[in-house]
Amino acid sequence: MLENYFPVLVFVVVGMAFGCMPILLGWLVSPHRPDSEKLSPFECGFEPFEDARTKFDVRYYLIAILFILFDLEIAFLFPWATIFKEITATPEVKLFGFAEMLVFIGVLVIGYVYAWVKGALDWE
Amino acid sequence: MDLKTIIFYVFAALLIFAALRVITARNPVHAALYLVLAFFNAGGLWLTLQAEFLAITLVMVYVGAVMVLFLFVIMMLDIDIKRLRQGFWRNMPLAATLGVLMVAEMALVLSTDYFGPVAFPGTKMGADYSNTRELGRLLFTDYVYPFELASIILLVAIIAAVVLTLRRRKDVKHLDPVQQVAVKHSDRLRVLQMPAEKEGE
Amino acid sequence: MITLSHYLILAAILFAIGVVGIFLNRKNLIVLLMAIELMLLAVNLNFVAFSHYLNDLSGQLFVFFILTVAAAESSIGLAILVVLFRNLSTIDVDDLDGLKG
Repeated sequence: MLENYFPVLVFVVVGMAFGCMPILLGWLVSPHRPDSEKLSPFECGFEPFEDARTKFDVRYYLIAILFILFDLEIAFLFPWATIFKEITATPEVKLFGFAEMLVFIGVLVIGYVYAWVKGALDWE
Repeated sequence: MDLKTIIFYVFAALLIFAALRVITARNPVHAALYLVLAFFNAGGLWLTLQAEFLAITLVMVYVGAVMVLFLFVIMMLDIDIKRLRQGFWRNMPLAATLGVLMVAEMALVLSTDYFGPVAFPGTKMGADYSNTRELGRLLFTDYVYPFELASIILLVAIIAAVVLTLRRRKDVKHLDPVQQVAVKHSDRLRVLQMPAEKEGE
Repeated sequence: MITLSHYLILAAILFAIGVVGIFLNRKNLIVLLMAIELMLLAVNLNFVAFSHYLNDLSGQLFVFFILTVAAAESSIGLAILVVLFRNLSTIDVDDLDGLKG
Protein backbone atom coordinates (compact mmCIF):
# COMPACT_ATOMS: atom_id res chain seq x y z
CA MET A 1 0.00 0.00 0.00
CA LEU A 2 2.89 2.32 0.76
CA GLU A 3 4.34 1.57 -2.67
CA ASN A 4 1.57 3.72 -4.12
CA TYR A 5 3.18 6.74 -2.51
CA PHE A 6 6.52 6.27 -4.18
CA PRO A 7 5.83 9.07 -6.74
CA VAL A 8 4.97 11.36 -3.84
CA LEU A 9 8.25 10.49 -2.15
CA VAL A 10 10.15 11.17 -5.37
CA PHE A 11 8.29 14.44 -5.71
CA VAL A 12 9.14 15.49 -2.15
CA VAL A 13 12.80 14.58 -2.54
CA VAL A 14 13.15 16.34 -5.89
CA GLY A 15 11.31 19.39 -4.55
CA MET A 16 13.56 19.59 -1.49
CA ALA A 17 16.67 19.14 -3.61
CA PHE A 18 15.45 21.84 -5.96
CA GLY A 19 15.00 24.22 -3.05
CA CYS A 20 18.16 23.36 -1.15
CA MET A 21 20.70 22.82 -3.93
CA PRO A 22 20.99 26.43 -5.18
CA ILE A 23 21.45 27.72 -1.63
CA LEU A 24 23.92 24.98 -0.78
CA LEU A 25 25.84 25.42 -4.03
CA GLY A 26 25.97 29.15 -3.64
CA TRP A 27 27.22 28.77 -0.11
CA LEU A 28 29.86 26.23 -1.09
CA VAL A 29 31.14 27.80 -4.28
CA SER A 30 31.06 31.50 -3.47
CA PRO A 31 34.00 33.13 -1.69
CA HIS A 32 33.56 34.09 1.98
CA ARG A 33 35.28 37.35 2.83
CA PRO A 34 32.88 39.13 5.17
CA ASP A 35 33.66 42.51 6.67
CA SER A 36 31.61 44.88 8.74
CA GLU A 37 30.51 46.97 5.76
CA LYS A 38 29.31 43.95 3.83
CA LEU A 39 27.37 42.58 6.75
CA SER A 40 25.66 45.85 7.64
CA PRO A 41 22.05 46.25 6.49
CA PHE A 42 21.75 48.33 3.36
CA GLU A 43 18.80 50.44 2.36
CA CYS A 44 19.51 52.81 -0.54
CA GLY A 45 22.66 54.10 1.04
CA PHE A 46 21.34 55.00 4.48
CA GLU A 47 20.58 53.19 7.71
CA PRO A 48 17.28 51.27 7.62
CA PHE A 49 14.48 53.19 9.28
CA GLU A 50 12.40 50.38 10.67
CA ASP A 51 12.05 46.66 11.16
CA ALA A 52 11.95 44.71 7.92
CA ARG A 53 8.81 42.97 9.15
CA THR A 54 6.01 45.37 8.45
CA LYS A 55 2.68 44.98 10.14
CA PHE A 56 -0.27 43.59 8.30
CA ASP A 57 -3.61 45.25 7.98
CA VAL A 58 -6.37 43.80 10.13
CA ARG A 59 -8.56 43.50 7.07
CA TYR A 60 -6.52 40.55 5.75
CA TYR A 61 -7.33 38.78 8.95
CA LEU A 62 -11.09 38.65 8.55
CA ILE A 63 -10.69 37.38 5.00
CA ALA A 64 -8.34 34.66 6.31
CA ILE A 65 -10.85 33.54 8.95
CA LEU A 66 -13.66 33.35 6.42
CA PHE A 67 -11.32 31.42 4.13
CA ILE A 68 -10.65 28.80 6.85
CA LEU A 69 -14.32 28.26 7.55
CA PHE A 70 -15.31 27.89 3.91
CA ASP A 71 -12.24 25.72 3.35
CA LEU A 72 -13.63 23.31 5.94
CA GLU A 73 -16.96 23.38 4.19
CA ILE A 74 -15.22 22.28 1.00
CA ALA A 75 -13.46 19.51 2.94
CA PHE A 76 -16.87 18.16 3.87
CA LEU A 77 -17.94 18.25 0.24
CA PHE A 78 -15.22 15.86 -0.96
CA PRO A 79 -16.50 12.63 0.66
CA TRP A 80 -20.00 13.54 -0.44
CA ALA A 81 -18.85 14.00 -4.02
CA THR A 82 -17.10 10.62 -4.08
CA ILE A 83 -20.21 8.74 -2.97
CA PHE A 84 -22.76 10.89 -4.78
CA LYS A 85 -23.19 8.39 -7.62
CA GLU A 86 -23.79 5.66 -5.10
CA ILE A 87 -26.39 7.79 -3.30
CA THR A 88 -28.36 8.54 -6.41
CA ALA A 89 -28.24 4.87 -7.43
CA THR A 90 -29.99 3.80 -4.20
CA PRO A 91 -33.67 4.82 -4.43
CA GLU A 92 -34.46 4.97 -0.69
CA VAL A 93 -31.70 7.46 0.17
CA LYS A 94 -31.72 9.32 -3.13
CA LEU A 95 -33.27 12.55 -1.91
CA PHE A 96 -31.98 12.23 1.63
CA GLY A 97 -28.38 12.16 0.51
CA PHE A 98 -29.00 15.27 -1.54
CA ALA A 99 -31.04 17.11 1.09
CA GLU A 100 -28.53 16.63 3.90
CA MET A 101 -25.88 18.45 1.91
CA LEU A 102 -28.42 21.12 0.96
CA VAL A 103 -29.13 21.71 4.66
CA PHE A 104 -25.40 21.85 5.39
CA ILE A 105 -24.72 24.37 2.66
CA GLY A 106 -27.92 26.28 3.53
CA VAL A 107 -26.75 26.84 7.09
CA LEU A 108 -23.40 28.09 5.82
CA VAL A 109 -25.10 30.35 3.28
CA ILE A 110 -26.74 32.10 6.24
CA GLY A 111 -23.26 32.90 7.51
CA TYR A 112 -22.16 33.97 4.06
CA VAL A 113 -25.13 36.32 3.66
CA TYR A 114 -24.51 37.68 7.15
CA ALA A 115 -20.88 38.43 6.33
CA TRP A 116 -21.90 40.00 3.03
CA VAL A 117 -24.64 42.19 4.52
CA LYS A 118 -22.36 43.33 7.31
CA GLY A 119 -19.80 44.37 4.71
CA ALA A 120 -17.10 41.93 5.80
CA LEU A 121 -16.35 41.13 2.17
CA ASP A 122 -15.96 44.75 1.12
CA TRP A 123 -12.50 46.17 0.68
CA GLU A 124 -12.91 49.79 1.61
CA MET B 1 13.96 -3.05 9.64
CA ASP B 2 11.53 -2.78 6.80
CA LEU B 3 10.69 0.38 4.93
CA LYS B 4 7.56 1.14 6.94
CA THR B 5 9.48 1.09 10.21
CA ILE B 6 12.11 3.46 8.84
CA ILE B 7 9.42 5.81 7.55
CA PHE B 8 7.68 5.77 10.91
CA TYR B 9 10.85 6.62 12.82
CA VAL B 10 11.83 9.39 10.40
CA PHE B 11 8.41 11.02 10.62
CA ALA B 12 8.24 10.54 14.40
CA ALA B 13 11.67 12.02 14.98
CA LEU B 14 10.91 15.02 12.79
CA LEU B 15 7.53 15.46 14.49
CA ILE B 16 9.05 15.50 17.98
CA PHE B 17 11.85 17.80 16.90
CA ALA B 18 9.37 20.22 15.32
CA ALA B 19 7.10 20.12 18.37
CA LEU B 20 10.03 20.86 20.68
CA ARG B 21 11.03 23.81 18.51
CA VAL B 22 7.44 25.10 18.53
CA ILE B 23 7.50 25.52 22.28
CA THR B 24 11.09 26.77 22.58
CA ALA B 25 11.52 29.01 19.53
CA ARG B 26 12.37 32.58 20.45
CA ASN B 27 10.50 34.10 17.53
CA PRO B 28 6.77 33.29 17.25
CA VAL B 29 7.10 33.26 13.45
CA HIS B 30 9.62 30.41 13.72
CA ALA B 31 7.30 28.64 16.16
CA ALA B 32 4.46 28.85 13.64
CA LEU B 33 6.68 27.54 10.82
CA TYR B 34 7.84 24.62 12.97
CA LEU B 35 4.19 23.88 13.72
CA VAL B 36 3.67 23.68 9.96
CA LEU B 37 6.50 21.11 9.83
CA ALA B 38 4.84 19.20 12.67
CA PHE B 39 1.54 19.12 10.80
CA PHE B 40 3.25 17.87 7.65
CA ASN B 41 4.89 15.02 9.55
CA ALA B 42 1.65 14.15 11.30
CA GLY B 43 0.03 14.03 7.87
CA GLY B 44 2.76 11.63 6.75
CA LEU B 45 2.14 9.41 9.75
CA TRP B 46 -1.58 9.40 9.02
CA LEU B 47 -0.76 8.27 5.50
CA THR B 48 1.07 5.25 6.91
CA LEU B 49 -2.10 4.56 8.92
CA GLN B 50 -4.14 4.59 5.70
CA ALA B 51 -6.07 7.70 6.68
CA GLU B 52 -5.37 9.40 3.37
CA PHE B 53 -8.33 11.75 3.33
CA LEU B 54 -7.59 13.08 6.80
CA ALA B 55 -3.92 13.50 5.97
CA ILE B 56 -4.78 15.64 2.97
CA THR B 57 -7.39 17.53 4.97
CA LEU B 58 -4.86 18.21 7.69
CA VAL B 59 -2.41 19.64 5.20
CA MET B 60 -5.12 21.56 3.34
CA VAL B 61 -6.97 23.04 6.30
CA TYR B 62 -4.25 23.34 8.90
CA VAL B 63 -1.15 24.12 6.89
CA GLY B 64 -3.05 25.97 4.19
CA ALA B 65 -5.42 27.99 6.32
CA VAL B 66 -5.02 27.85 10.09
CA MET B 67 -1.27 28.33 10.17
CA VAL B 68 -1.54 31.15 7.64
CA LEU B 69 -3.99 32.77 10.05
CA PHE B 70 -1.50 32.30 12.90
CA LEU B 71 1.21 33.91 10.78
CA PHE B 72 -1.13 36.79 9.90
CA VAL B 73 -1.82 37.44 13.57
CA ILE B 74 1.86 37.28 14.50
CA MET B 75 2.74 39.68 11.68
CA MET B 76 -0.15 41.97 12.54
CA LEU B 77 0.62 42.41 16.20
CA ASP B 78 3.61 44.33 17.39
CA ILE B 79 4.78 41.96 20.10
CA ASP B 80 7.43 42.71 22.65
CA ILE B 81 9.13 39.32 22.56
CA LYS B 82 11.71 40.15 25.23
CA ARG B 83 9.04 40.87 27.78
CA LEU B 84 7.11 37.74 26.92
CA ARG B 85 10.26 35.64 27.26
CA GLN B 86 10.84 36.86 30.83
CA GLY B 87 10.91 33.97 33.26
CA PHE B 88 10.83 31.53 30.37
CA TRP B 89 13.29 29.08 31.91
CA ARG B 90 12.06 29.58 35.46
CA ASN B 91 9.36 26.95 35.11
CA MET B 92 11.64 24.63 33.16
CA PRO B 93 12.56 22.20 35.99
CA LEU B 94 8.95 21.70 37.03
CA ALA B 95 7.71 21.48 33.43
CA ALA B 96 10.45 19.06 32.37
CA THR B 97 9.86 16.83 35.39
CA LEU B 98 6.16 16.78 34.71
CA GLY B 99 6.59 16.09 31.01
CA VAL B 100 9.12 13.30 31.53
CA LEU B 101 6.91 11.77 34.22
CA MET B 102 3.90 11.87 31.95
CA VAL B 103 5.74 10.27 29.07
CA ALA B 104 7.32 7.62 31.33
CA GLU B 105 4.01 6.66 32.89
CA MET B 106 2.19 6.53 29.60
CA ALA B 107 5.02 4.59 27.96
CA LEU B 108 4.94 2.04 30.78
CA VAL B 109 1.24 1.51 30.30
CA LEU B 110 1.17 1.69 26.53
CA SER B 111 4.13 -0.60 25.85
CA THR B 112 2.45 -3.55 27.52
CA ASP B 113 1.06 -6.46 25.54
CA TYR B 114 -2.40 -5.05 25.95
CA PHE B 115 -1.69 -2.67 23.05
CA GLY B 116 0.72 -5.08 21.38
CA PRO B 117 0.57 -6.75 17.98
CA VAL B 118 -1.44 -9.69 19.30
CA ALA B 119 -4.36 -7.63 20.58
CA PHE B 120 -4.22 -5.12 17.70
CA PRO B 121 -2.84 -6.86 14.62
CA GLY B 122 -3.71 -4.01 12.28
CA THR B 123 -5.61 -4.13 9.04
CA LYS B 124 -4.61 -4.62 5.44
CA MET B 125 -6.83 -2.89 2.94
CA GLY B 126 -7.30 -4.10 -0.61
CA ALA B 127 -6.03 -2.22 -3.60
CA ASP B 128 -9.49 -0.83 -4.43
CA TYR B 129 -10.06 0.52 -0.94
CA SER B 130 -10.96 4.20 -0.97
CA ASN B 131 -10.63 5.93 2.34
CA THR B 132 -12.62 8.97 1.21
CA ARG B 133 -15.47 6.83 -0.09
CA GLU B 134 -15.71 4.79 3.11
CA LEU B 135 -15.61 7.94 5.21
CA GLY B 136 -18.34 9.48 3.11
CA ARG B 137 -20.47 6.36 3.38
CA LEU B 138 -20.27 6.57 7.18
CA LEU B 139 -20.47 10.35 7.45
CA PHE B 140 -23.67 10.72 5.44
CA THR B 141 -25.54 7.82 7.02
CA ASP B 142 -24.71 7.15 10.68
CA TYR B 143 -23.21 10.55 11.39
CA VAL B 144 -25.71 12.84 9.71
CA TYR B 145 -26.56 14.80 12.84
CA PRO B 146 -22.95 15.50 13.83
CA PHE B 147 -22.39 16.50 10.21
CA GLU B 148 -25.21 19.05 10.33
CA LEU B 149 -23.99 20.22 13.73
CA ALA B 150 -20.59 20.87 12.18
CA SER B 151 -22.25 23.35 9.85
CA ILE B 152 -23.79 25.10 12.86
CA ILE B 153 -20.37 25.33 14.48
CA LEU B 154 -18.93 26.81 11.32
CA LEU B 155 -21.83 29.29 11.16
CA VAL B 156 -21.21 30.34 14.76
CA ALA B 157 -17.52 30.78 13.96
CA ILE B 158 -18.31 32.94 10.91
CA ILE B 159 -20.64 35.19 12.88
CA ALA B 160 -18.25 35.41 15.83
CA ALA B 161 -15.35 36.32 13.55
CA VAL B 162 -17.37 39.03 11.79
CA VAL B 163 -18.68 40.46 15.06
CA LEU B 164 -15.28 40.44 16.74
CA THR B 165 -13.03 41.77 14.02
CA LEU B 166 -15.15 43.81 11.63
CA ARG B 167 -14.57 47.46 12.20
CA ARG B 168 -15.70 50.28 9.94
CA ARG B 169 -13.09 52.90 9.41
CA LYS B 170 -14.19 56.46 9.71
CA ASP B 171 -11.09 58.10 8.28
CA VAL B 172 -10.95 56.29 4.97
CA LYS B 173 -11.68 58.48 1.96
CA HIS B 174 -12.65 56.21 -0.82
CA LEU B 175 -15.00 56.31 -3.75
CA ASP B 176 -17.58 53.65 -4.30
CA PRO B 177 -17.43 52.66 -7.98
CA VAL B 178 -20.99 51.38 -7.87
CA GLN B 179 -22.26 54.80 -6.91
CA GLN B 180 -19.99 56.44 -9.42
CA VAL B 181 -21.35 54.35 -12.24
CA ALA B 182 -24.97 54.62 -11.13
CA VAL B 183 -24.98 58.40 -11.19
CA LYS B 184 -27.52 60.06 -13.51
CA HIS B 185 -27.04 63.29 -15.31
CA SER B 186 -29.99 64.76 -13.44
CA ASP B 187 -28.03 64.39 -10.20
CA ARG B 188 -25.19 66.50 -11.51
CA LEU B 189 -26.82 69.03 -13.80
CA ARG B 190 -29.99 70.96 -13.16
CA VAL B 191 -31.61 72.66 -16.15
CA LEU B 192 -33.50 75.75 -15.15
CA GLN B 193 -36.29 77.27 -17.18
CA MET B 194 -35.81 81.02 -17.29
CA PRO B 195 -37.84 83.42 -19.29
CA ALA B 196 -35.84 85.33 -21.87
CA GLU B 197 -35.12 88.91 -21.04
CA LYS B 198 -35.22 91.68 -23.61
CA GLU B 199 -32.57 94.32 -23.76
CA GLY B 200 -33.43 97.70 -22.43
CA GLU B 201 -36.57 96.70 -20.65
CA MET C 1 6.98 -4.00 12.81
CA ILE C 2 5.21 -0.90 13.98
CA THR C 3 2.49 -1.65 16.49
CA LEU C 4 -0.21 0.44 18.06
CA SER C 5 2.04 1.08 21.06
CA HIS C 6 4.50 2.98 18.89
CA TYR C 7 1.85 5.42 17.74
CA LEU C 8 0.35 5.78 21.21
CA ILE C 9 3.71 6.52 22.81
CA LEU C 10 4.52 9.01 20.06
CA ALA C 11 1.20 10.73 20.74
CA ALA C 12 1.94 10.70 24.49
CA ILE C 13 5.29 12.40 23.86
CA LEU C 14 3.60 14.98 21.64
CA PHE C 15 0.94 15.65 24.26
CA ALA C 16 3.58 16.03 26.97
CA ILE C 17 5.46 18.51 24.76
CA GLY C 18 2.22 20.48 24.46
CA VAL C 19 1.79 20.53 28.24
CA VAL C 20 5.41 21.60 28.78
CA GLY C 21 4.89 24.29 26.16
CA ILE C 22 2.00 25.70 28.15
CA PHE C 23 4.21 25.76 31.25
CA LEU C 24 7.09 27.49 29.49
CA ASN C 25 5.18 30.04 27.41
CA ARG C 26 2.66 30.97 29.99
CA LYS C 27 2.97 34.66 29.03
CA ASN C 28 2.72 34.42 25.27
CA LEU C 29 -0.87 33.82 24.22
CA ILE C 30 -0.02 32.94 20.61
CA VAL C 31 2.41 30.18 21.56
CA LEU C 32 -0.14 28.98 24.12
CA LEU C 33 -2.62 28.51 21.29
CA MET C 34 0.04 26.67 19.27
CA ALA C 35 0.71 24.35 22.23
CA ILE C 36 -3.01 23.60 22.35
CA GLU C 37 -2.86 22.75 18.64
CA LEU C 38 -0.01 20.33 19.39
CA MET C 39 -2.06 18.61 22.08
CA LEU C 40 -5.03 18.34 19.73
CA LEU C 41 -2.72 16.85 17.11
CA ALA C 42 -1.58 14.22 19.63
CA VAL C 43 -5.18 13.31 20.40
CA ASN C 44 -5.98 13.10 16.70
CA LEU C 45 -2.98 10.84 16.16
CA ASN C 46 -4.36 8.51 18.85
CA PHE C 47 -7.75 8.46 17.20
CA VAL C 48 -6.33 7.67 13.77
CA ALA C 49 -4.03 4.97 15.16
CA PHE C 50 -6.86 3.25 17.01
CA SER C 51 -9.09 3.59 13.97
CA HIS C 52 -6.48 1.82 11.85
CA TYR C 53 -5.71 -0.98 14.27
CA LEU C 54 -9.35 -1.61 15.25
CA ASN C 55 -10.49 -1.39 11.62
CA ASP C 56 -13.22 1.05 12.63
CA LEU C 57 -13.64 4.23 10.63
CA SER C 58 -15.56 6.06 13.37
CA GLY C 59 -12.26 7.18 14.86
CA GLN C 60 -11.30 8.91 11.63
CA LEU C 61 -14.67 10.62 11.46
CA PHE C 62 -14.16 11.84 14.98
CA VAL C 63 -10.84 13.33 13.89
CA PHE C 64 -12.64 15.07 11.06
CA PHE C 65 -15.05 16.69 13.50
CA ILE C 66 -12.23 17.56 15.87
CA LEU C 67 -10.44 19.27 12.99
CA THR C 68 -13.59 21.28 12.28
CA VAL C 69 -14.10 22.31 15.87
CA ALA C 70 -10.40 23.05 16.39
CA ALA C 71 -10.21 25.25 13.31
CA ALA C 72 -13.28 27.19 14.47
CA GLU C 73 -11.79 27.41 17.95
CA SER C 74 -8.43 28.71 16.83
CA SER C 75 -9.99 31.24 14.47
CA ILE C 76 -12.24 32.62 17.21
CA GLY C 77 -9.38 32.45 19.71
CA LEU C 78 -7.16 34.46 17.41
CA ALA C 79 -10.00 36.93 16.78
CA ILE C 80 -10.32 37.47 20.54
CA LEU C 81 -6.54 37.85 20.69
CA VAL C 82 -6.63 40.56 18.03
CA VAL C 83 -9.41 42.44 19.84
CA LEU C 84 -7.46 42.10 23.08
CA PHE C 85 -4.33 43.47 21.48
CA ARG C 86 -6.27 46.38 20.02
CA ASN C 87 -7.58 47.33 23.47
CA LEU C 88 -4.55 46.61 25.66
CA SER C 89 -1.69 46.55 23.10
CA THR C 90 -0.25 43.50 24.81
CA ILE C 91 -0.75 39.76 24.68
CA ASP C 92 0.91 39.06 28.01
CA VAL C 93 -1.36 36.81 30.04
CA ASP C 94 -0.24 38.59 33.22
CA ASP C 95 -1.77 41.84 31.99
CA LEU C 96 -5.22 40.34 31.60
CA ASP C 97 -6.28 41.21 35.12
CA GLY C 98 -9.13 43.58 34.34
CA LEU C 99 -11.58 41.52 36.36
CA LYS C 100 -9.30 41.38 39.43
CA GLY C 101 -10.24 37.75 39.85
